Amino acid sequence: MTDTPVTPPRSAPRSRLSMAWDSDVAHAFRRSPVAMISALVTILMVGAAICAPLIAPHDPFNPATLNLMNGFTPPGTPNMFTGESFFMGTDDQGRDVFSTILYGLRISLFVGFAAVGFAMVLGITLGLIAGYVGGLVETIIMRVADVQLTFPAILVAMLIFGVAKGITPPEYRNDVAIWVLIIAIGLSDWVQFARVVRGATMVEKSKEYVQAARLIGRSPGAIMLRHILPNVLSPVLVIATISLALAIIAEATLSFLGVGAPPTEPSLGTLIRIGQGFLFSGEWWILFFPACTLLILALAVNLLGDWLRDALNPRLR
Amino acid sequence: MMNRFWMATALAALMATPAVSETFRWASTTDPQTMDPHAVSSTPVLGFLNNVYEGLVRRGRDMSIEPALATAWEPLPEGAGWRFTLREGVTFHDGAAFTAEDVRFSYERAASEQSDVRSWFAPVTDLVVVDEYTIDILTRSPQPIFPDSIANWMIMDSGWAEANGAAGVARDAENFATLNANGTGAFRLVSRQPDLETILEPFEGWWGEVEHNITRAIFTPIQNDATAVAALLSGEIDMINPVPVQDADRIDAGDGVLVLRGIETRVIMLGFAHDHETLQNGAPNPFRDVQVRGAVAQAVNVDAILQTIMRGSAEPASQLVPPSARGFSTAQDTRPVLDPDAARAALAEAGYPDGFEFTLSCTNDRYINDEAVCQAIVGMLAQVGLRATLEAGPVSNYWPELRAGNFDMYLLGWSPGTFDAEHPLRFLVHTAGESLGTWNFGGYSNPRIDALLPMIQSEIDEDARQAMLDEAAAIVQDDMVYVPLYVEPLLWGVRNGVTLTQRPDNFFILRWVSVD
Amino acid sequence: MFSYILRRIAQSVLVLFVVGLVAFAMFRFVGDPVETMLGQERTVEDIERLRENLGLNDPFFVQYANFLLRAAQGDLGISYRQGRPVAEIIAERLPATLELAAVSGAFALILGIVLGIFTAIRRNGFAANAIMTLSLIGVSLPTFLIGILLIYLFAVELSWLPSFGRGEVVQLGGWSTGFLTQSGLVALILPAITLGLYQMTLIMRLVRSEMLEVMRQDYIRFARARGLSQRAIHFRHALKNTLVPVITVTGLQLGSIIAFAIITETVFQWPGVGLLFINAIQFVDIPVMAAYLMLISVMFVGINLAVDLLYVAIDPRLRS
Repeated sequence: MTDTPVTPPRSAPRSRLSMAWDSDVAHAFRRSPVAMISALVTILMVGAAICAPLIAPHDPFNPATLNLMNGFTPPGTPNMFTGESFFMGTDDQGRDVFSTILYGLRISLFVGFAAVGFAMVLGITLGLIAGYVGGLVETIIMRVADVQLTFPAILVAMLIFGVAKGITPPEYRNDVAIWVLIIAIGLSDWVQFARVVRGATMVEKSKEYVQAARLIGRSPGAIMLRHILPNVLSPVLVIATISLALAIIAEATLSFLGVGAPPTEPSLGTLIRIGQGFLFSGEWWILFFPACTLLILALAVNLLGDWLRDALNPRLR
Repeated sequence: MMNRFWMATALAALMATPAVSETFRWASTTDPQTMDPHAVSSTPVLGFLNNVYEGLVRRGRDMSIEPALATAWEPLPEGAGWRFTLREGVTFHDGAAFTAEDVRFSYERAASEQSDVRSWFAPVTDLVVVDEYTIDILTRSPQPIFPDSIANWMIMDSGWAEANGAAGVARDAENFATLNANGTGAFRLVSRQPDLETILEPFEGWWGEVEHNITRAIFTPIQNDATAVAALLSGEIDMINPVPVQDADRIDAGDGVLVLRGIETRVIMLGFAHDHETLQNGAPNPFRDVQVRGAVAQAVNVDAILQTIMRGSAEPASQLVPPSARGFSTAQDTRPVLDPDAARAALAEAGYPDGFEFTLSCTNDRYINDEAVCQAIVGMLAQVGLRATLEAGPVSNYWPELRAGNFDMYLLGWSPGTFDAEHPLRFLVHTAGESLGTWNFGGYSNPRIDALLPMIQSEIDEDARQAMLDEAAAIVQDDMVYVPLYVEPLLWGVRNGVTLTQRPDNFFILRWVSVD
Repeated sequence: MFSYILRRIAQSVLVLFVVGLVAFAMFRFVGDPVETMLGQERTVEDIERLRENLGLNDPFFVQYANFLLRAAQGDLGISYRQGRPVAEIIAERLPATLELAAVSGAFALILGIVLGIFTAIRRNGFAANAIMTLSLIGVSLPTFLIGILLIYLFAVELSWLPSFGRGEVVQLGGWSTGFLTQSGLVALILPAITLGLYQMTLIMRLVRSEMLEVMRQDYIRFARARGLSQRAIHFRHALKNTLVPVITVTGLQLGSIIAFAIITETVFQWPGVGLLFINAIQFVDIPVMAAYLMLISVMFVGINLAVDLLYVAIDPRLRS
């Protein structure tokens, strides 16, 4: 560890950005080609998803623009009835596979980010409270976590989905479906955040700076947010990155079990579920392209999470 | 890991040696829930048990009624019922002799409260044993197609049932007949492991002429389509039912397996909320107007659905029954013509020049490619301004939702149990009530249909009956009560060297199977 | 110590009750069992009678109380779909799931530890990096797709392995085992890999990072300074200290293996409790769904309890 970065001369006041750029983590990042490529791929995918309406040649979510006779057009060859050509082919509904992937990516990423965000907020809050307050509150929170673990992720999602379908009027169900997915995946994921945060909080709580803050009369809420939270963020960040990949895949799995995004507005997972029906029939592109997209995305996010775990662990540097 | 790998290869090579050819293995998506022939009236159960149990009459390869446990039957004078002459010298699998007493017992069992097949005996007042081999079934009114309607009424041995505490049907308690069977059929039940494996072997003492050459038949349920296709292609299974429509051509083109194609009896159709004041979204219900329903029929491109999603395997439907059914109206055999412009004009005329929004309810695990078909319909309707939100879900919650009235337009498949055109009139078109119109979710009501139904049911004269069926079919078409789309295809994947018969009711009859 | 155990057990029982209550509150949203139980020619009267007979007209907490009362007497009810006692069905199906879970657990543990050690020792080697990346591909695709792709490759294209089922099983006093026949063992390979892949990756990564951490600690440096061979350091010292967290995590993961078996069993038509549960959902078979959820709960709560008690036994500080 002799090659510590050379600090630039402190002539001008440094912006936060340049400070971040010079931090240890950023330095490690610049030296890791895997991390850089993964980050680039992730950013590209997120960018493509956000700009989907601008990039996509077709709007697969508008049923009025679809022509069923375009169905099953192989990639790059003109359709035998309509003469239209699609570079990734079309699916069973005559939708351009490339466009559906872009729009599907949008939904998958949205579900992934929102579910992880939800799990993170819930897990951190409950973990902080459990670790800081202790006693009966801690027991209740941790037993609820047990109940949550008892119901495996898939089961939680299936049950929530069932209930949500039961209580929403049919008119709104498709709009609700995405939020239900987010809540279901998020709910099955918060426990690991809570456990990590609770453990770290218990360790931090006994440290002198927290005791000192308490003595000068800071409120528990302030202590938790200002002092403890920043110290537990790095493991949380690692879990969050890995959870993002897991959430996107969980959405695909749920789709296989029939509780995913609606087929008229498919996510990547729904596209894969639809595509696997054509594995034996020769229309490989309906499965291949969405599956590759998911694979590359999940791989990039996972590699990023991996690298982050090593980079944030000072003992491994 | 490497060792394990090679071990697996070696084992696989061992397994590849040809099995005894007379063992026949077949797979289907659904396991028959029970071995009790009166407990569940569904195709998987009745179809499977037709190999083990027999009725007084049975259906032949072309669905015609032929003698089974009865050798002859004739109507009693003045339409009082039917007389059946029973076959002599028939024994059950356990060796007991078949007599009129067993028929009487099976009637009482099948017509009891707990039975799921009691509707077959709704017109029956009594069953009288005339002598050991003659019975009379007395009916309230003349029942011209009664023998057809009891083709799946299976006869159980009274002594066996009583000795094993299975004299009654039970849905909420354990019953010996659920796992065991004792019929007179060509095959006897050797072992039954629900959801896993059911083994049948030929019954040596069967009365009929043996046409098959199998010595053992093993049924396995395989739910996942892709897994079933894999099992067929890898030679682990001799026959699968169904083959996913998209895989049929590929399987056919491959070595060693072929696809048997036929047309089922199930008609897929769109239904409407006839009696709802408002749509699910609160707007006034346009589907009350026959013009709007007609526009739907003109907007849906059935040919395109059949060509792409169904891969040319299904047939367009014009009525609620397929052309092969008894009582089909040849006079009414035309579908509404595809004409999006006319549909738009009709909508404008009905007061919806900009169309409207509504919900299309659909199953996603009940009919062949049901979800994809509904998706395509959403697209086609959108092109004439009918903006549907697709609400697709599993069938487990579908009927309760429809029964609760939570729909605007829905997809329905109907398979006439009696294989007769009267069947859908009774359940889908007659005004909804306790036992009639029980599947008429939309609440369509027409006094003429309600008057025609009992007349059709008791008309003995074939021509007069057909005339009334024609009239009913015309009413259903003119009122656009339903929009029939297509008749579901029947696709069975069969290993080369196996010959069998595909019956339109999707029953798989083992005694017509022969293996090279 | 004793009061801690007692309190912990009491809490676990409470957890079970809550799980059951939540489950029963949710069942009515899955669908109506009566609709799937009766044929198409049923009457309204038939529907009502069956509903009454099954006790479905009762409020859900009454249904739950009835379930608990009967369950306390060892009666889990009759399956709506099969018309047989649920306890009997579960007993029939459980061995298949447990054997699959055991084999995939063993696969995950053994391969995970071996690869974890390898990637830790050769931290910057090409092979180690390749293994790390490849293992990520395995968890970057949904399980059902991996299963279907494995079937396509090994059963259809290569014809090496069976595509579905358990092969031939042998009955050993009520326990059906696939371990004793060739076809039974062969049938385990693909489902076990499909199910264990995720856990394998998890264990491998855990072992690797624990190894890396342990190897930086003072006593390992000390051992190295003393001139012990690399081999002795790696296996006698580093690995030993790595295994405690690995075994804890594996124990906790056993439950999720059984839960994830739902998907693997569906793809491979593996006749275990997961497939039974999926069937039960499709059929709205409430007694089977209830029994399955309670079974899973008991297993999870039991494993949690065991882990907690073990910690208490190991760490004297927690006993106060």
